[in-house]
Amino acid sequence: MSDIIAPPSVRARALEKGIDIEKLAKDLGRTTIALEDLEAGKPAAGPAGDTSYWDVDHSQYGPVTEEPMSRFAQVAAANLGAANALIPQVTHHDRADVTAIEALRKDLKPEAQARGVKLTALAFQAKALARALREFPRFNASLSPDGKTLTLKDYVHIGIAVDTAHGLMVPVIRDVDRKGLWQIAAEIADLAGRAQNRKVGPDEMGGASMTITNLGGIGGIGFTPIVNPPELAILGLTRTETVTVWEGDTPRPVPMVPLDLSYDHRVINGADAARFVSYLAGLIADPRRIMV
Amino acid sequence: MSDNHADLIVLGAGPGGYACAFRAADLGRKTVMVDPRATLGGVCLNVGCIPSKALLHAAEVIREAHHINDWGISTGKVSVDLDKLRAKKDGIVGHLTTGLTGLAKRRKVQTIRGTAQFTGDNSLDIDGESWTFDQAVIAVGSAPVRLPGWPEDDRIWDSTDALELREIPKRLAIVGGGIIGLEMATIYAALGSNVTVIEFMDQVAPGADAEAVAVLHAALEAEGVTIHTGTKVAQVKATKPALTLTCEGGFEGSIKADAAIQAVGRRSNGSLVAPEAAGVKMDDRGIIHVDASCRTNVETIFAIGDVTGNPMLAHRATHQGHIAAEVASGHAAALDTDLIPSVAYTNPELAWAGLTEAQAKDQGLAHKTASFPWAASGRNLASGGGDGLTKLVYCPNTHRLLGASIVGRNAGELLAECVLAMEMGGRLEDIALTVHAHPTLSETIAFSAERALGTLTDL
Repeated sequence: MSDIIAPPSVRARALEKGIDIEKLAKDLGRTTIALEDLEAGKPAAGPAGDTSYWDVDHSQYGPVTEEPMSRFAQVAAANLGAANALIPQVTHHDRADVTAIEALRKDLKPEAQARGVKLTALAFQAKALARALREFPRFNASLSPDGKTLTLKDYVHIGIAVDTAHGLMVPVIRDVDRKGLWQIAAEIADLAGRAQNRKVGPDEMGGASMTITNLGGIGGIGFTPIVNPPELAILGLTRTETVTVWEGDTPRPVPMVPLDLSYDHRVINGADAARFVSYLAGLIADPRRIMV
Repeated sequence: MSDNHADLIVLGAGPGGYACAFRAADLGRKTVMVDPRATLGGVCLNVGCIPSKALLHAAEVIREAHHINDWGISTGKVSVDLDKLRAKKDGIVGHLTTGLTGLAKRRKVQTIRGTAQFTGDNSLDIDGESWTFDQAVIAVGSAPVRLPGWPEDDRIWDSTDALELREIPKRLAIVGGGIIGLEMATIYAALGSNVTVIEFMDQVAPGADAEAVAVLHAALEAEGVTIHTGTKVAQVKATKPALTLTCEGGFEGSIKADAAIQAVGRRSNGSLVAPEAAGVKMDDRGIIHVDASCRTNVETIFAIGDVTGNPMLAHRATHQGHIAAEVASGHAAALDTDLIPSVAYTNPELAWAGLTEAQAKDQGLAHKTASFPWAASGRNLASGGGDGLTKLVYCPNTHRLLGASIVGRNAGELLAECVLAMEMGGRLEDIALTVHAHPTLSETIAFSAERALGTLTDL
């Protein structure tokens, strides 16, 4: 007899819908499965909440129109809801001096044009993040569903959140620690372009060590991104701003990129997060250190 | 392609075969059903479950007539008109098989009387006629096992012969104390035979709960049935005055009998349809192994019922029949349970499903048992019932019901509650908190659960 309790009608329905009851129970962390659990087709995000707050007739306050949430958007919403409900998240804020990176990009511009690759700041940041993940292996890890085991990864894949017309997609650049900047920049451009047309294959998503979500091209001085499970942290970037840095009595204008690292506090504590981001900021400020 | 073509062809019109054919027809399939018998219903309806139940009912009435003397009611000596009894039984069978023919017609299921054998993976021979098919379901059932080394003699019967009710032998030996053997013992003992049951295992109804079997064993002995367990029949001699069975083991000696019934089990009829011609794999016992969706190793050929092995029970075949029809018609279905109830329609009845105490122990599962003796059941005593027992096996940690064994009047009917409870993942509390009518025999199930929970006030 199975350890999972489900009435015959529910088991028959699950079979019709191709749902594995044992797996569903595991995903939901339960030993009983009822008919309602099958209707969603996918486990409800996190603990069942009271949704009556949204049960409002908005038209009583003024004219409204309705549009359906796309299937794509619903899946993304369920994932974000689960991530927010299940992970105790903290966001650490810092910033990094990008003077050296900007100088380097300027120097390499003719070569970039010759190669037909735009050497973006994001490519540098992905490369720096990959190096930092090698230095801090506990950030390159995932928790087991029961929270009892931490799986450490001996590879560094970086997810790049891409804003597309149909919603958020996260293609993944593989082995960023072993690739050169030209290649990283080219792959980001290629995947981001294809994501716009929903032409990213399933094998080109998933399995990231960490995700970068970059709002630098739009604006902002900081935000609190939501960790993309099963990853342990996500790095948010906003627009580089020239700030005044005082060296003794001397003010110096320095272009700084804001760094916002949201992390799973079950695995990463605040001091480690501060060290990680500080190390990352150091790599960005002096990209030569990525090499050594 | 030959002119004879079937969209879906079902070989066998027993409880599995007709359930499959009817379900397929209901799903819109053009269905053909083939069976060598003159009437539909297979062994179950013609020479099994149904006629035996008719005779068991007669046996029950005879027994009641004897026992009602205690109540101040005398019927005088009960006499049995064997011809009339046989005719009544045949009438009931006839009524039901005719009903089945009507159901088949209404569904436009084409029925063919004949013996089918595969000639290829999409072709069959039916008594010399060639047929082709898109899909086939093998539902040809089983036949009684014949013991080797026995002489050829008209006084040696199988269950089919015994149900023909040819005569009431003075001395009847039944070899095999399983469900069929014990039902035959119940029938013939009531009809006046001096019955001896010889069982090779250490208890009759092997596989059933020992405590429950002990109640049945005692009741059969009280009705005059002699039971030898742990006993093997070493030799059988047929001489004019009697059959002589020489026994070894628990009982050493010879038994003289005027008739003997072989009831040592049933063997799959798989080899009769030449499944190998279609590439369908069959083991050396003639069993065609299938998955939970009743698929054989050949994609377009399914198998259901006794031909697929144990437990060889009509209700399993029926469920498999529906599943095969649904899967063959593109639906997702499977026999997703191992809760197949077993019922001996003896007096008292013995019924069980799920795990027995012994099985739970063998499997090393955490388990406890709780039982309620029928001597304390008002309904049982008030209706002249004899001894009985309701026994539940449950998990002490979760209180989930793991198995149930019931011995007593209507045990087969009562068991359904326990099977449903197990299918629903029911706990002792679910059973105890469900209001059972008083006075009923079903209360004994609730009482057993209450006893386990310490809330029982009826003991």
